[in-house]
Amino acid sequence: MTDPFEHLIRSTLTDLAEEAPIVQDQLNGAERRVRNRRRATVTMGAVGTLAAVLIATPLALASTGSDEAPPAAPSPAGPAAVPSPPAPDPSAPTAVPPGVPSPGGAKQDPWQRPGVPGKPGEPGDPGAPGAPGAPGAPGAPGAPGAPGAPGAPGAPGDEAGVSGAPGVPAAPGVPSDPFKRDVPGVPGEPAPFTAPGAPASR
Amino acid sequence: MDEDERARLAEFVGSRTPALMRVAYLLTGDRNAAEDLLQSALARTIPKWGSIRHADPEGYLRVVMYREQISWWRRLRRWRETPLNPADEPVGVDPSGGSDVRLAMRAALRHLTPAQRTVVVLRYYEDLPEARVAELLGCSVGTVRSRTHRAVTRLRELLPEVEMLEVRR
Repeated sequence: MTDPFEHLIRSTLTDLAEEAPIVQDQLNGAERRVRNRRRATVTMGAVGTLAAVLIATPLALASTGSDEAPPAAPSPAGPAAVPSPPAPDPSAPTAVPPGVPSPGGAKQDPWQRPGVPGKPGEPGDPGAPGAPGAPGAPGAPGAPGAPGAPGAPGAPGDEAGVSGAPGVPAAPGVPSDPFKRDVPGVPGEPAPFTAPGAPASR
Repeated sequence: MDEDERARLAEFVGSRTPALMRVAYLLTGDRNAAEDLLQSALARTIPKWGSIRHADPEGYLRVVMYREQISWWRRLRRWRETPLNPADEPVGVDPSGGSDVRLAMRAALRHLTPAQRTVVVLRYYEDLPEARVAELLGCSVGTVRSRTHRAVTRLRELLPEVEMLEVRR
């Protein structure tokens, strides 16, 4: 079963084993290696921990998002701490101007204070009273206007023959709605012709 | 470790060092490398001495040596070394008689990889079966077979004239 080649391998290995060096004091060297390995393990662990702290500290500071330097630790030998006015809390919500209500009804920020309600607008000016209806125009059926006031008596003229101005027809009896179109009233009776210089009769 | 335990450890190391050194020398093929391998295995065994001293400390130490020899980390460290005497020929008289065949085989064994050399030592010097070798090295039986086959094939390639040497002898 044994190949001559394999037999050659066995014999060669046996011869080689006989030439193995004889060494002494292997235990001391091994124990020195154990101590060195343990020391290296502890050192590398400490270095790794320190490296992790050095790497993680800036990352942690950056993740907080505050640009301010961290507060200094109070020194036990230093002077007594002077109370300082409280610094504004950077995390407190900042005051914002009153929000303008969005026309689209956007969601309001819960941290935003509600806006001051707007001042109610001034009531609009009422419409100017309608002009009196033009005389003679056929109006809608409305209340008959009061008879027109008699015309003012003309000033006594120096000469006869100039007739006085006709009287102004009276305004419609019902006051017109300022927002509605005026309905001309029925023209009143024309003022009786008065002779110039004669006093108007009522 | 107290004094009693250390005395037992020193007794074990002193009594088993020659045999362990032979195996280390066969595994490495170099005196200095053999001494380094044995010390490395002892350094790994000493911390476990309390738990293995009642079992089989020599078996544990041998397994550590086998696996340390084929370990990847040791291979890296081996590349950093620069042997000043690659042949590592013994200074004294060759007890084997200096035959040509054995000298050629000895030189050919140095060209094997650490894994192949370890398998050859376990199979042809320790006379261990393949299953036991696979158990010691932590690999499969197929791996042991393939490594053995490649090692023998490599030795045959390195010794093409072995038949002629045998005839001449």
